[in-house]
Amino acid sequence: MQALDIRPCQLDAKTLALRTEVREFIAEALKDYPAHERAKNWNGADPEFSRKLGERGWLGMTWPKRYGGHERSALERYVVLEELLAAGAPVNAHWIAERQSGPLLMKFSPDVLAPRLMPAIARGELLFCIGMSEPNVGSDLASVQTRAVKTEGGWVVNGSKVWTTGAHRCHYMVTLLRTGPRDDSNRHGGLSQLLIDMRAPGVTVRPIYNMLGEHDFNEVFLDDVFVPDDFVIGQPGDGWKQVGAELALERSGPERYLSSTQLYLEMLDAADPQNSRHSVSLGRVAARYAVLRQMSLGVAGMLARGDNPATPAALVKDQGALLEQSLPDLAHDLFGGTRQPGSRLDQVMRYLTQTAPSFSLRGGTREILRGIIARGLGLR
Amino acid sequence: MNQATHYQAMDDSAPSQLQSIIADSVERLFAEQITSEVLARFDAGHAATALWQQVVEQGLPGALMAEEAGGSAASWLEVSPVLRAIGYWNAPLPLSETMLASMLLARAGLQVPEEPITLIQNGRLGELALSADGHLDGRIFNVPWARSCRWAVVADGTGQVALVDLRQANVSLEAGSNFAGEERDTLHFANARVHTSGQLQIADVQEPVWVFGALIRACALVGALESSLDKAVSYANERVQFGKAIGKFQAIQQQLAQMAGAIGAARMATQVALRSACDALQAEPGCRSSLAFDVAVAKVCAGEAATLATSIAHQVHGAIGFTHEHTLHFSTRRLWSWRDEFGSDSQWAEVLGQAAIAAGGKGFWAGLTQRQF
Repeated sequence: MQALDIRPCQLDAKTLALRTEVREFIAEALKDYPAHERAKNWNGADPEFSRKLGERGWLGMTWPKRYGGHERSALERYVVLEELLAAGAPVNAHWIAERQSGPLLMKFSPDVLAPRLMPAIARGELLFCIGMSEPNVGSDLASVQTRAVKTEGGWVVNGSKVWTTGAHRCHYMVTLLRTGPRDDSNRHGGLSQLLIDMRAPGVTVRPIYNMLGEHDFNEVFLDDVFVPDDFVIGQPGDGWKQVGAELALERSGPERYLSSTQLYLEMLDAADPQNSRHSVSLGRVAARYAVLRQMSLGVAGMLARGDNPATPAALVKDQGALLEQSLPDLAHDLFGGTRQPGSRLDQVMRYLTQTAPSFSLRGGTREILRGIIARGLGLR
Repeated sequence: MNQATHYQAMDDSAPSQLQSIIADSVERLFAEQITSEVLARFDAGHAATALWQQVVEQGLPGALMAEEAGGSAASWLEVSPVLRAIGYWNAPLPLSETMLASMLLARAGLQVPEEPITLIQNGRLGELALSADGHLDGRIFNVPWARSCRWAVVADGTGQVALVDLRQANVSLEAGSNFAGEERDTLHFANARVHTSGQLQIADVQEPVWVFGALIRACALVGALESSLDKAVSYANERVQFGKAIGKFQAIQQQLAQMAGAIGAARMATQVALRSACDALQAEPGCRSSLAFDVAVAKVCAGEAATLATSIAHQVHGAIGFTHEHTLHFSTRRLWSWRDEFGSDSQWAEVLGQAAIAAGGKGFWAGLTQRQF
């Protein structure tokens, strides 16, 4: 039970002024940004918008100045994130680089890759994607088959990656692969993470269109791609440990409960205050938003104190996905058969109904997360 | 992260020394005294009078009162272990009610009686009319522990707090109970005399008994939820079928993980509401407060968690959990009862939903971050 305990975290007064500043920026920068685009939430990508955030000093906020950061608190960063997401700002271009690749480089390559690459991430100019899954490797990540073989001055990589979000617009891919032999008694050994330059010879990116016909994720083929020694993250063999360290960063942020927010906002505008079916249902959701915000903030506080809250993060993501996925069904329940075709509600509902299934798949499936929670409870 | 020094997280929610002392003593008392025999005797109609004496000796009923009024001036966060323990150990006592009633009386400047005190929010669960010369008429149902309480605090929506002697001839009682056999009685007032009355305004709280009452029930729900989860996890680790503990089956793990998630949400929501109660009690009368919002969130989350957790806990326990001999029902019957009391989750959700709809798509997020629509 203790493994699941999340303590409330209070935002200090410093964050109040920052919140106002972010709101004013968003109101201006996104004043003509339509509801059906906001519906994409953190799936929406606009490299120009990412650079604007970099100019404001709102990327790499917590990083040291020598890495191009701004040495602000984790909670100030949290406020910026939640304001951007609640407004449905297009943050996907820089999202992965800023959320986890920068911190990964800082922790595991503090003298080589971090000083070289992090300043450009903080400017919103350098975009990263993550190559974990493979055609035969989904939840069971330790069985990746992409390999790197040592050669003069570096490594030669062969294999392929799949579901790689943003690979078509990113500059680098953090790639989980095998550098040592497979050993069934230690499945997590022999894995490493290498940074692959997406412009290197032998890298081919092929789009995978999702069920809406949109292009977010890709297949990435790696044929004899040369990776210099400098681009090994940490030590060869450290890959699994690194992936573990990234998970809490990946799973507990406000993006794990806010993805369907635009649909909720449209429902509030379409609701009839006299209709108690509307107010009860939408009120239950309001309570979910309130508590998930506190839980997500609580985990941010734990990260800021230097804990590794992997289990609470899994719990927040599981609960967050339940909220996100309940909203298209609630919209159907309350407005199915009656909403105006082409209305804002209709457009947003159309998009989120069809993307919601991915919310309990990406970043760790519901089944994997609940397995982690069960272990935290003392089961297995 | 290699530069934790740059992070300035607020960690001001660590328990105070007084909170730890209260937690230790109440846990020890309840763990020792509230055995399944005591609970079975309670179910058979025997009040836990000895236990009440012990909580009085520990000074718990007056814990929330100022020291001048004879209390221990504890904050809501500091007494939260008591409120949770009532749920965890199924304490069959009017303890949280008396704690809240005593606090309200003391803050209204009224003398606080020694005996147990129950709570009435006028306009909820019935209407009472108060005459100019201080007499009450009307009927209120589901009054908690009325049979065991000599006194009732009656609050209205205008800041008035009245203390009424329930043993006077002009008050009659119809016995009733919730699903757990806890007294929930109907009271008839026929020109019943008010003993004392005063004025009380806590921040912008309109209905103090209703709002703080929902908070004490939310805390008790969290305790009972944690107890039901502990029981279900232990059982899943002990019970062997098909050659292994059933807790090793993914189907069981997934259910218990989902239950833990809902409980985690309820626990967080009540923690936030408890802090909010501390803030509201320190604020100037009439001052803006997020208490009503935070309590609504807590009661919705705790009530919804109760619905899910009772179902999963019983499913995991199988037939043995359905017997009177097993202790699971001491928790689940209380969960089904308390999710109803001081406003059900759907009643509180309706309040939140109306406010959210009024805020609209434009105002929702600002309202959520201020914790007030």
